Amino acid sequence: MLYRVIDAAELPALVDAFMERYEVIAPVRSGRSFAFEAVGSFDDIVLDYPTTITSPKKYVLPPRETLFEFDAAANEVADFVEEVTPRVIFGVHACDINALNSLDLVFRDARYPDPYYAARRDATMVVGISCTPSEGCFCHLVDADEARTGYDLFLQDIGGRYLVSIGSVEAANILEGACNPREATDEDRIAFRHATRRRQASFNPDIPNIQEVPMLMDAFHSDPFWEELGGRCLSCTACSSVCPTCYCFDIRDTMDPDGVHGLRERTWDACTSPQFAVVAGGHNFRADGRNRVRHRMYHKLNGFMAAHDRNLCVGCGRCVYACKAGISPIEVLRFFERKGADDAD
Amino acid sequence: MSATNEKAPARVVVVGLASCFGCQLQITNIERHLLDVLGQVDLRYWQLTSSDPMPEEFDVAVIEGAVTTEEAVRTVRELRERAGTVIAIGACAVTAGIPAMAAPGFAERAASVYGDEAPEACGSLRPPAPVSSVIAVDHEVRCCPIDPLDFVDTLQRVLRGSNKAVPTSTLCGECKRNERGCFYGRETLCLGLVTRAGCGARCPDLGRPCNGCAGLSPDANVASARAVAARSGVDPARLDKALELFNTVDPSLASKG
Amino acid sequence: MPTSQTVPGVAVAPLRDEGAPLTGAELVRANPYRPWPARITSITDLTATEKLFEFRFVDERIREAFRHEPGQFVELSLFGVGEAPISISSSPSKSGFIELCVRRAGTFTERLHQMQCGDIVGIRGPYGRPFPFDDMRGHDILLVAGGLGIAPLRSLINNIHDERSDFGKVTIIYGSKSPAEVMFRSQFEMWRHRKDFDLYLTVDNPDDTWDGEVGLVTKPFEHLEVDPGRTFGAVCGPPVMYRFVVEEMRKKGISYDHIYMSFERHMKCGMGKCGHCQIGHQYCCIDGPVFNYWEAKNIQGSM
Repeated sequence: MLYRVIDAAELPALVDAFMERYEVIAPVRSGRSFAFEAVGSFDDIVLDYPTTITSPKKYVLPPRETLFEFDAAANEVADFVEEVTPRVIFGVHACDINALNSLDLVFRDARYPDPYYAARRDATMVVGISCTPSEGCFCHLVDADEARTGYDLFLQDIGGRYLVSIGSVEAANILEGACNPREATDEDRIAFRHATRRRQASFNPDIPNIQEVPMLMDAFHSDPFWEELGGRCLSCTACSSVCPTCYCFDIRDTMDPDGVHGLRERTWDACTSPQFAVVAGGHNFRADGRNRVRHRMYHKLNGFMAAHDRNLCVGCGRCVYACKAGISPIEVLRFFERKGADDAD
Repeated sequence: MSATNEKAPARVVVVGLASCFGCQLQITNIERHLLDVLGQVDLRYWQLTSSDPMPEEFDVAVIEGAVTTEEAVRTVRELRERAGTVIAIGACAVTAGIPAMAAPGFAERAASVYGDEAPEACGSLRPPAPVSSVIAVDHEVRCCPIDPLDFVDTLQRVLRGSNKAVPTSTLCGECKRNERGCFYGRETLCLGLVTRAGCGARCPDLGRPCNGCAGLSPDANVASARAVAARSGVDPARLDKALELFNTVDPSLASKG
Repeated sequence: MPTSQTVPGVAVAPLRDEGAPLTGAELVRANPYRPWPARITSITDLTATEKLFEFRFVDERIREAFRHEPGQFVELSLFGVGEAPISISSSPSKSGFIELCVRRAGTFTERLHQMQCGDIVGIRGPYGRPFPFDDMRGHDILLVAGGLGIAPLRSLINNIHDERSDFGKVTIIYGSKSPAEVMFRSQFEMWRHRKDFDLYLTVDNPDDTWDGEVGLVTKPFEHLEVDPGRTFGAVCGPPVMYRFVVEEMRKKGISYDHIYMSFERHMKCGMGKCGHCQIGHQYCCIDGPVFNYWEAKNIQGSM
């Protein structure tokens, strides 16, 4: 990986350079929280945001997208072209970059690459930025605190300047055109080391660090804990709306009011939605909160690992805030912590 | 799906019971699509727009309003007998909505207003109830008032058939898709926790808490929602009280009490 | 604001018109979500609620390119109504058409049942991991179907019949609720008559005419002789059935990895993405729907 250093004062020029060629998406203030939105000026961007309500997932997997159009009278697919907007997502935390990398494993698989996802992802540049963990963050416990790949630039704040990892030629060209990137000095490297140490020390110590979580998910699969946790579920699906790695979707036809033309759409869906595992004839394979919440946690902390050798949960903490019933992977980690206590029953 | 004869358009009647007729009015608000939609059906009767008697034969009955009289009970039973498909539209028809606020202690309330006998024009009064408590309802278009495009979508379902799922999840998932913060973080009561999704969490998106007009989800976890309220500094009793606006006669509320 | 130009992203367009033969992979690459027009060429009433539909792709090149294996499924489209996964009931050795056995169980299948010969639908696929047909060659086969579970197994049964000399003893146990719900009976009876297969038809509720077995599909196991070292089992039926049938097969000594079962879930995309068909960490649509018992034992919530 190529590293260079730029001054903090050069960032506006970098963003302006991106804006010349791309729609720039960045974290902005939204009510009392933050959201990724299209920005028109560097001044709108809040670079030290703690987290956003939802993740950049929406730019590669929109909540609702058209797969094609059809003529229902003729029972024919109509020719259809979906255009995508070239974008730069500026200011993405490491957890969210890791989340995009996980989505890539699902949607850019060798066997059935998804052309809609691929078109959006190919037209999207990612500029990462270092962060300070907030209370609900636990990316370091699920190996997602560092983005090793999956970005075009990654900006490490080392005090008044940024250590920039350069991941693509396109980004290198823009960086060189807009800023004066210089070689890192020993002083820069030491500042970087101090920054990573500070970050390491600021994670919430109350979130337990549990070894072998995937194995524990299997071993405690029948524990009454799931009844208690799932029994609280409100069936609202807020967890998956905010999750950067929930990628499940529904496919459905929507008719135009004319009753002839229609769209085949895919929309976000959630395994915590009561009807998610219903089959024709009405049988529901996960008919209660216990089964649904356990399945979701299982996929996040075990299932994806079995298929792709990495955690699907990236520890971003969004569900910790979004779930009003207090259901999150942290609760699962705490359960395992209790089971490991000397006086566990 | 007896209403899916592609040769002859489905014959449709639209009937209003106890309601403000606002949901029937909403149908006219489809505006630019209205002629398209009417062109696909044979509209035989529309109570809002016509004083003709109701026809003998039809395929689809669209019912607005709550059942508040014995006469209305007979009307919906007749509609069910003749129609292949029944669509209930609006909170009054679906949950008995606002009219149902009168349901608890109904006889005493009526007596305190009318004395021993209500005027003949009232009909023979009974506690307000949703249409589905009297007859089987095939499709529901929820909310107060309905979203006209939601009505069109439901009509398309009836005319063509659709395997689109009708989820019973509650509102917060849609609210998060709108990237809105939570009212409970501001110690403000919101019924999204237990109210059925589908409206797109429109009110919270406009800065107003959900008042539950889509009705309680059959999968609503009211006990958990009360705990959420209590943890957030909102008296759970206020949540129960707020649910009375649109869900007084929801049978699940008693059991989940 | 930025000068946000748009670029073409994804096209859903006809296949290239070069007349060259297509491969199945090209159909996927063209756009994996796009169904291809297929015509209903035959409809057979099987029971009061089940029909057997025969489909042929309208485009001859797609007809040639479409190749399936026993146990696979397709996604069937009725535009405006939606899409549904349906297992293929016909033998792969007969190309040019596919047969789907469909129970009327909801709006989608209701609409399909109303359709006529000549009507057009959309089909994409085939999807899913099939029965290990080549591994099964040279072995005895014990097939157990319950109710509509016969639909995916019929593809395997017909394929075995087409290549009958490659297999040893073949036994079919097929349970239904009542005699009126037994599907493909005359075909199976004919094969039994010709000593091609051993056949046990069982029903829960017999009528006066019923001369088959009465009771659960596990009942014929009481007097079944199985050579466990050379037998493959194949099971498909309602969710409750698997555990009991598999237990019987294990009692006969059939190895974990020689017992295959096809699971029913709602595969919405068919391509390991949408998540609806997940069982534990597996996707029924790409890791299954056919799993062996060892794999199934290792999937949380499979049985």
